[in-house]
Amino acid sequence: MNAVQRFIRSRVLLLTAAILIVAMCLSVFIQSQSQAALNRTVDENSRGLYDILVQAKAGNNKAGGALIQPDIANGQGGISFQQLEKIRGLGGTSVAAPISLVSRVTQNLETPRLDAMDYLGYNAGLAGGATAGDPTGTDTKKWPAPESVLPAQPKKYRLTASAVSSDGVSQQTLFQTSAEGALGKGQVIEQQTAGGKSIRIAGPAGETGIKFPAPAGGSEHNLFNLSVALPMAPQVTESVVAVDPTAERALLGSAGDFLAPLQKAPPADTRNAGAIGRYFEQLFAKSPTQQELEQGPDFLGVKLKYWAPLMTQYQQAKLSGQITDASQAIPLIVRQGTSLDLKYSVKIQEIDDSGKVVNDVGTVSRSLDKDYLPFVSKSPFALQWPGSTDHSQLLGNTGNFSQGLYQPAQWSTDFAAAPKYKDGDTSANGAVGKSATPGDWVTVNKLPEKSAFGAIVDQAQRKPVDERSYRENLPTGSKPATPLPMVYGTFDPAQIQKAAGDVNKLPLGGYDPAPMTLQKDASGNDTAAKGLKPSLSATGLVSQSAGAITDYYGLAAARGYNTNANVIDAVRVRASAAGNWKQAQPEVDKLAARIRDLGLEATVVAGSARQDANIFVPGYSKDDAGKESALGTVQQSWVRQDAADAVSGSLTGTNITLLFLALCGATLLTGASTVSYIRQRRSEAGILRAMGWTQRKIRSWVLEEFGIGAAIVALAGIALSLLSWNLATVIVSASVLVLYSAAAYIAAQQLRHRDVVDQEPQHDERLIAVDSPLTFAYRQLVTHRFSSVSLAVAVGVFGAAVGALIALLIDIPRAAGASALSGLASAAVALPSVILAVSGVLVGLVLTLVTGRFELQARREQLSTLKAMGWNPDMLGQVRFFENALVGAVALILGVLGALGIGLLLAPYAALWAALAGVLAVLCWIPIATKVVK
Amino acid sequence: MTDNLNPDLTSTTESADESFQTRANTIVRAADHATPLQLSNITIRYGGDKGGAEPVTVVEDFSLTLHAGEMHCIAGRSGSGKTSILTVGAGLTLPTSGRVLWEGDSLEKMGDDEIADRRRALIGYVDQGGALIDGMSALENVLLPAVPDGEVEQRTEMAKDLLDLVGLGRRMRHRPAQLSGGERQRVAIARALILGTRVLVVDEPTASLDRTSANRIISILKDTTNDGIAVLVASHDHELVRLSDTLTELI
Repeated sequence: MNAVQRFIRSRVLLLTAAILIVAMCLSVFIQSQSQAALNRTVDENSRGLYDILVQAKAGNNKAGGALIQPDIANGQGGISFQQLEKIRGLGGTSVAAPISLVSRVTQNLETPRLDAMDYLGYNAGLAGGATAGDPTGTDTKKWPAPESVLPAQPKKYRLTASAVSSDGVSQQTLFQTSAEGALGKGQVIEQQTAGGKSIRIAGPAGETGIKFPAPAGGSEHNLFNLSVALPMAPQVTESVVAVDPTAERALLGSAGDFLAPLQKAPPADTRNAGAIGRYFEQLFAKSPTQQELEQGPDFLGVKLKYWAPLMTQYQQAKLSGQITDASQAIPLIVRQGTSLDLKYSVKIQEIDDSGKVVNDVGTVSRSLDKDYLPFVSKSPFALQWPGSTDHSQLLGNTGNFSQGLYQPAQWSTDFAAAPKYKDGDTSANGAVGKSATPGDWVTVNKLPEKSAFGAIVDQAQRKPVDERSYRENLPTGSKPATPLPMVYGTFDPAQIQKAAGDVNKLPLGGYDPAPMTLQKDASGNDTAAKGLKPSLSATGLVSQSAGAITDYYGLAAARGYNTNANVIDAVRVRASAAGNWKQAQPEVDKLAARIRDLGLEATVVAGSARQDANIFVPGYSKDDAGKESALGTVQQSWVRQDAADAVSGSLTGTNITLLFLALCGATLLTGASTVSYIRQRRSEAGILRAMGWTQRKIRSWVLEEFGIGAAIVALAGIALSLLSWNLATVIVSASVLVLYSAAAYIAAQQLRHRDVVDQEPQHDERLIAVDSPLTFAYRQLVTHRFSSVSLAVAVGVFGAAVGALIALLIDIPRAAGASALSGLASAAVALPSVILAVSGVLVGLVLTLVTGRFELQARREQLSTLKAMGWNPDMLGQVRFFENALVGAVALILGVLGALGIGLLLAPYAALWAALAGVLAVLCWIPIATKVVK
Repeated sequence: MTDNLNPDLTSTTESADESFQTRANTIVRAADHATPLQLSNITIRYGGDKGGAEPVTVVEDFSLTLHAGEMHCIAGRSGSGKTSILTVGAGLTLPTSGRVLWEGDSLEKMGDDEIADRRRALIGYVDQGGALIDGMSALENVLLPAVPDGEVEQRTEMAKDLLDLVGLGRRMRHRPAQLSGGERQRVAIARALILGTRVLVVDEPTASLDRTSANRIISILKDTTNDGIAVLVASHDHELVRLSDTLTELI
């Protein structure tokens, strides 16, 4: 029988070679594949819309892998237009897009109202004029019959208006106010007057109407309904940011098309608010066509769809004397919808004379939602009495043209700056724990001092709310004149976020505020993750996208400065270097250095990614006694610098660690199979010696068999190395070959002829006497040291492998959740890594099976002997258990240390879990092995 | 048993051919004794496997009554069921049918624990080759049956005496690997006697031993019967057959 035949006959050697080759292929394949996937993912995703974030020197950001807080448009300013031009003039700059916070604008929404359908039918005297000339109006002959939800005889009602705002965690009732009075079906009254006939709508006899305190006003019958003026809705504050529309479009690409109208806005010297107001008044004096009204009149090439708000605010501001010669119109692109949670409700109850409720008519409510437009929405809280139908459309589109703010918005340069963040501990994955230090409390939900008509406002009708808003004043020069908002278009923040993507994109200022998610309550207990919504309760930390975007002329008009002040908060620079991040990095770094030479802070953000930071927020709310309460710990997506390198390095390290583990497993498996081979061949070697074979010949005999396997392993290694052309592959292949050769040498040595018979020593009296199943088990393990240690090592490897798998399973979601980039990278390598880890577990399992079988037959014979001596089944079970428990005790140390070590290498924060998993794996092995031996 | 060992037993060896009888033919040579072990209509059948092998009946309707102080030899060719009868008699396996009675009590009614306890008190089993435990000295091996009752310390002197009696007083610290085949058998016999057993079940005690060693084993076994211990032995050894009180020959 030649060496090849002997090699094939020796299943152990064949199996070992096969397993080593498979392990080699698996390791190399997975390593190369995962590395390629990782590099590809990181390269493709680590360059965003811009490469460098430029801020003033005193910016909050730090260099060197720190986290950048999300709100970069905080009104800090510090960069001048000269500096912006210098940045644009640098050789490597492709786009330099400035961004600034212009102002906070408090929206005084029009008084909410409750409309109760009270339609009296067609009346030429009342409706004829309104429908004249509007082809969209309903033919007079087709008007429906009169109908009303109000009783012919007035009844007494109580209306309870309330406003509630919620941040998703806590709910705040901003006010709740009731008013009572009698309401009834209206009637048309015709009276003869001097020179003609007077027609009007009036309430029935006995109707008192319902009037809430000023500035709400009372109830009034009109053409289609009875309208009750409700208490004023809470003030809503929106932010306005300024951008350079041309640069911004270059930055955003097609997603920035919404800024096209802003590019057509007139220059600063043609934005006089009075002149523009007069232009529109004159335009409407010429009776515009219905189409013009619907599309909006043309203003220097832009159809101003929202002309009505402009006109309403102009007229109101002119009436109140707010418009001055210095007032400018500010072109705005306003946000579509709002995420502000504000719900306005009216409860309607029919009561008797004593005030007792006799009928619950119902509760109607409305919330600000996606239909809300800052600077545009006039009546977001127009509520309908239950059962009402809106008949105003009978008049045609004319009825919708009066949309617009009731009062001019109040512009403020009291900026809500970012909270003061303080770095805490740095966790193992590089994330920095933070705490937010609140600023001063600001009272919101106040009422104006006077109503629109000058009446004193009853301030007792609502409860002011403390809001943590961290305001800092920015001196901007002269007092600004009241601006006139001029809505040029709308934008959808979700679309911009989508265009910016979720990877490696710093928050685009006011477009893209980072949401906050509550993770732990104030006591530190885990809570179901809740996203914090903007609200009018104490949610100063939460923001929503800017209410409007203007250009830098708009910023100048709103802030009222005349000189070239340093009003640019940040400049986002895209380098002209092409390609992915790795390719562009040298040029980007050079450009950043040049920008720093201009005296500015330049942070290279390409290669960065979003990462969640945990922030503890104290002083979030106040109770009535003024005691502050913490919010808890919120998670906010910040930006981690150099995340691409960190992710790449971390996950590459993970794979290399797993490869190392796979090689360790292969080593142990080879050792175990070699021992098995030696046991098989020892008797054969003895026979051969008896037949006169020399020691040299027996060694050759062994080495020939191993040589076949080594040749196969070497060929496989060379083939893999050539295919992958990777140094790691060569190292892995060479390691496996060396391993196999060492096993061959050891086997040959073990099977050598023993010149001197090993004399087993006599019984050592120092050994623990055998007087129980435990001591019996101990003696057996001591006697069969090699097998016991082999088994313990195998079980330890199994435990460590399980620990590694657990560490990996914990680490992958963690890595995926740490940042968007690492999430993509983790997804790219998750499967290969898990396969590798599972392979490690399987290798460990195979090892335990192989080594466990070494003495299995002998163990069974021993147990039979003990049984024959009268040891009962319970004691035999104890022997088996103690043997495995003692092995497990040794394995436990190896498993825990191994799992801990691997855990520290893979994911330090998960190391304890890995160790615990290792402990559990070993502990689970003990009863299973006990059962198997039975 | 104290001084009954007969080292000159080799001189009594003679052919036992004429003593072999037909299957299940028991020859009673001794007077009536108490009956510590009784096998009644025992059938032992090894079931077929999933591969379709047919079940094999190795012993059928076999009965045996073993009296105190009697040595009963079961002889027969390899595979005739000798060891099966011994393991059934020692309560190590259960017969396919039939009853095993220990001092009149049927094993059928006993649980595993009770069988183990009764076996410890009643039966000493000596496996073919001795079946000593590696890593334990001869003395420790002899003391192993005392472990379940926690009497290791109390029986240490007795164990030493037993090893003296079987001629291994100077080898009590040696481990099995350092003992010859005959010595291992003698240690196993000493181990079987440590708890004052009343039945000694011995499987092929002289197989693969030289004549001198075999005779020494036979002498020990014969001497145990003088102390009222019943011996059930399976063997081909003619000398052992000849010296047995009763004989069963299996075909």
